[in-house]
Amino acid sequence: MALDLQMPVLVVDDYKTMIRIIRNLLKQLGFEDIDDAADGTEALEKMKQRRYGLVISDWNMEPMTGYELLKQVRADGSLSKTPFIMVTAESKTENVIAAKKAGVNNYIVKPFNAQTLKGKIEAVFSD
Amino acid sequence: MAAMSKDNVARVIDFLQENKNRGGDVSLSDVMHLAEVMSGSMHEVLTKIQPAVTEELTAIAREITRMKQEITDLRADDMKTSRIPEAGRELDAIVEATEDATNTIMEAAEEIMSADASDPQAYQDFVSGKMITIFEACTFQDITGQRISKVVSTLNFIDERVSAFVDKLRLPEGAGIPAEETEEERRKRELILHGPQHAGEGVSQSDVDAMLAEAQSEIDKLFD
Repeated sequence: MALDLQMPVLVVDDYKTMIRIIRNLLKQLGFEDIDDAADGTEALEKMKQRRYGLVISDWNMEPMTGYELLKQVRADGSLSKTPFIMVTAESKTENVIAAKKAGVNNYIVKPFNAQTLKGKIEAVFSD
Repeated sequence: MAAMSKDNVARVIDFLQENKNRGGDVSLSDVMHLAEVMSGSMHEVLTKIQPAVTEELTAIAREITRMKQEITDLRADDMKTSRIPEAGRELDAIVEATEDATNTIMEAAEEIMSADASDPQAYQDFVSGKMITIFEACTFQDITGQRISKVVSTLNFIDERVSAFVDKLRLPEGAGIPAEETEEERRKRELILHGPQHAGEGVSQSDVDAMLAEAQSEIDKLFD
């Protein structure tokens, strides 16, 4: 799958500031169509209405976590192929393994920098 | 163990035998008489066990008095009405201050990013002004540091009082009943919610990258 800067990107985080930070970083990287959701439930609703080229999600959110969102996305035939990057402060080994088993495409530990985000996005689309 | 004497048992049996053929015709005075016989028969028993009961009750009363003093020393009312709510207000203020500062800094950064750079002098003045705004916003750190110190002091106060209280309860090792898992704890366990780790406790980004690569190579082997 090729990286297309025109594709819509969905940023999922319950912390508005983090959405704003990721949105600005994505704009710096050249992405223009950036949408956001405050938790997994809202993200899933949006994903059923629109086909996103990439989802960048936090893990710890209420009521639906990013981990639950990832599992639901992978279980849904029409959404299962959507590239999914987890961006989270959950940095225990079991979290990384659980996310990988659930089908995450990449995993970024907070705090992160623009270079890490760029590198992980590029890695997802070069696989 | 103390028991009724043979004489007292005999008195009760005599009374019951004298009245067994009355076909339910029992007066109040009969009942009172039986009660008198019964209480008289128990007198000896009560006399023997009273000192032991009194001693036990005195010990319990002493323990209750001690516990009341320990609870007073705990100053639970002070914690509940003053210290904990005050710590909550401090934390709310910290969240508000950091949020305000972050918004101010981000707004300044966004304005710099989108500023027109065609006039170098105007652009430089604009950026310098925004930099001052960012420096000013960073002063929040001093105040939040002081607020956090107050919260830490409250936590230490509670820790000292509760620890002293638990020590004075003289609970034997392992006496605590294992707490039942709450709904919130179950959610955290099932959804692997640990929250941010302290420095050195979690895995680094390079560890994550290595783990993902390793996991991927294990998966790839399945298709070889």
